[in-house]
Amino acid sequence: MPNPDAALEIQTLAHEQVPIRVRASGGWTFGGLKERRLDLARKLAQLATQPVERVSWDLTAVTELDDAGAVWLAHALRGTQRVEVSPRHREILNQVSQGMLVPIERERFDPLAGVVWTGEAAAHAAVHLRDAVILLGQLALDVAGIIRRPREFPLREFSAGIFRAGVTALPVTMLVGFLVGIVLTYLSALQLKRYGADLLVINIVGVGVVRELGPMLASIISAGRSGSAITAQLGVMRVTEEVEALSVMGISVTTRLVLPRVLALALALPLVTFCTDIAALAGAMLVSHFTLGITPGAFLQALPQAVEVVNFWIGIEKSCAFGFAVAFVACHYGLRVLPNTDSLAVGVTRSVVAAITCVIILDAVFAIMLRNVG
Amino acid sequence: MDAPVPGGEDHVIEIDDLVNTVGSGVILHRDLQLKVRRDEVMSLVGGSGSGKTQLLRVILGLKRPAAGVVRVFGVSWQDPNAKKVRDARRRMGMLFQNGALYSALTVYENIAFPLRERGGMREEEIRAIVNAKLAQVELEPRHGKLLPANLSGGMVKRVSLARALALSPDLLILDEPTAGLDPDRSEGFVRLIKGLREDHRFAVVMVTHDLDTLFELTDRVAVLADQHIIACDTLATVRGLNHKFVQNFFGGDRGRRALEHG
Repeated sequence: MPNPDAALEIQTLAHEQVPIRVRASGGWTFGGLKERRLDLARKLAQLATQPVERVSWDLTAVTELDDAGAVWLAHALRGTQRVEVSPRHREILNQVSQGMLVPIERERFDPLAGVVWTGEAAAHAAVHLRDAVILLGQLALDVAGIIRRPREFPLREFSAGIFRAGVTALPVTMLVGFLVGIVLTYLSALQLKRYGADLLVINIVGVGVVRELGPMLASIISAGRSGSAITAQLGVMRVTEEVEALSVMGISVTTRLVLPRVLALALALPLVTFCTDIAALAGAMLVSHFTLGITPGAFLQALPQAVEVVNFWIGIEKSCAFGFAVAFVACHYGLRVLPNTDSLAVGVTRSVVAAITCVIILDAVFAIMLRNVG
Repeated sequence: MDAPVPGGEDHVIEIDDLVNTVGSGVILHRDLQLKVRRDEVMSLVGGSGSGKTQLLRVILGLKRPAAGVVRVFGVSWQDPNAKKVRDARRRMGMLFQNGALYSALTVYENIAFPLRERGGMREEEIRAIVNAKLAQVELEPRHGKLLPANLSGGMVKRVSLARALALSPDLLILDEPTAGLDPDRSEGFVRLIKGLREDHRFAVVMVTHDLDTLFELTDRVAVLADQHIIACDTLATVRGLNHKFVQNFFGGDRGRRALEHG
């Protein structure tokens, strides 16, 4: 037999002391209430207009009662003294009634909330900065320790880091470099052609790619690719308490986890930049040939005269610093992840944004410092 | 809910001729039969590697069997009627071994999650139910604000149990309910489940290695060995079975102690 849906019968006996008698029956469950929701709500709204001392309830015919049904009944019964209920439904009805009495805590309006928020944000930023300085100092100590005891250098993690951040990043960075080389040359060629300064395209693209675009492209792709991976990896290790396990075993977390990643990216990124430069120049050479008629031979012959070697070295040195910054920021955020999934997602996002911002700031600093070089 | 199981059967779980494989076709269960009745606590026991967790995964619909039929509330997880499958799923609650609470949500939000997902309830109604569930698992409304990371192991289990009970399930599946709890808390937790069962009358399928829990809660026990359910009966009957695993499991020192204690 299927369980009948929830039902309410309201009887009015004019001469009785408690004239309104309500009898609930059927299955007062989420499913049972679903079909009769509007009808029941209407009847209960009618009852709500009556003083509670004039109403008595009989719930003994309720065949089944779940939490959803209990909420409805508890809401309707509020304050009613005369209630007949079967013992097996009494407990759930009591629990839900108690649950409804728990007051909601509402946040009070605080006129100083803005000041508090600003203060907290500043304190948070200060803690970030302090932790970053501590991590940097710890890295310096680790390097000093490794110089004294080279055998302790985590060579396997270091070489794995170079492979992941360097070799596996090459296809995407070279492809992006090649395409950027094409676009940049094409746009420059359109303008230069009008002034008959075709050959200047080699100067513009050569210096732009080797000194600025190559390192920037490689490090931005690296921040999105390797930086996020480092943060996620360290973050998951925090969530699963692997970082704590290392500390308990007496293994330095920075020596084992941070140092190899930072050094690997600082070393791999210049190599990636070099390959990106080559791809971008190849793209430039291709477009120069088809749009300006500069043959590849002429392009390669003019390139050393147009771009001084020092520009190349500036680009390589910059990418080394960018690699260090990207990995350092990624490790910093990874080690700050809290043991919950939300914190991991926020950590990875912030790590990528902070790493790219760092790269741009560093680039500006280099531009000012080296403005008279090359 | 007191609705009869579709198909007129009085079983919440029916498994017929189940063949379950792992990896590249290694057979874990062969022609496995199991029926779990309403209002009973069925415990699954078996040695390590016997496939208890894999069987639970099949029952939960997280894994598709290689062959055979698994019906929960008369519904196969492969049924093309998505509504029927969803309704059957909502009649089940699961207590995972490690709680599986959503780490980014507070205790309150974790318990409210299935209620909100089901829909059809106002926030005020949800709040009453969440507070009732917290009370049922002997927690207070103030605990609702905590994040899972701030809970002790025992509290994680309680919150997970409250979440599993949020939709008033007819079937509760417990995976090692007392794992990671100290004996005192284990006893308290088993007492809690027992009390909740008396109030809410749901069926329970439980995987446990803890003999005290087994003796305290179980109505029938299914023994998983040699790729089959080799016995499925009351504890008293199963203990008398002449099988190496059964004799070691129940006849060892721990088994005897639990029996004396029980």
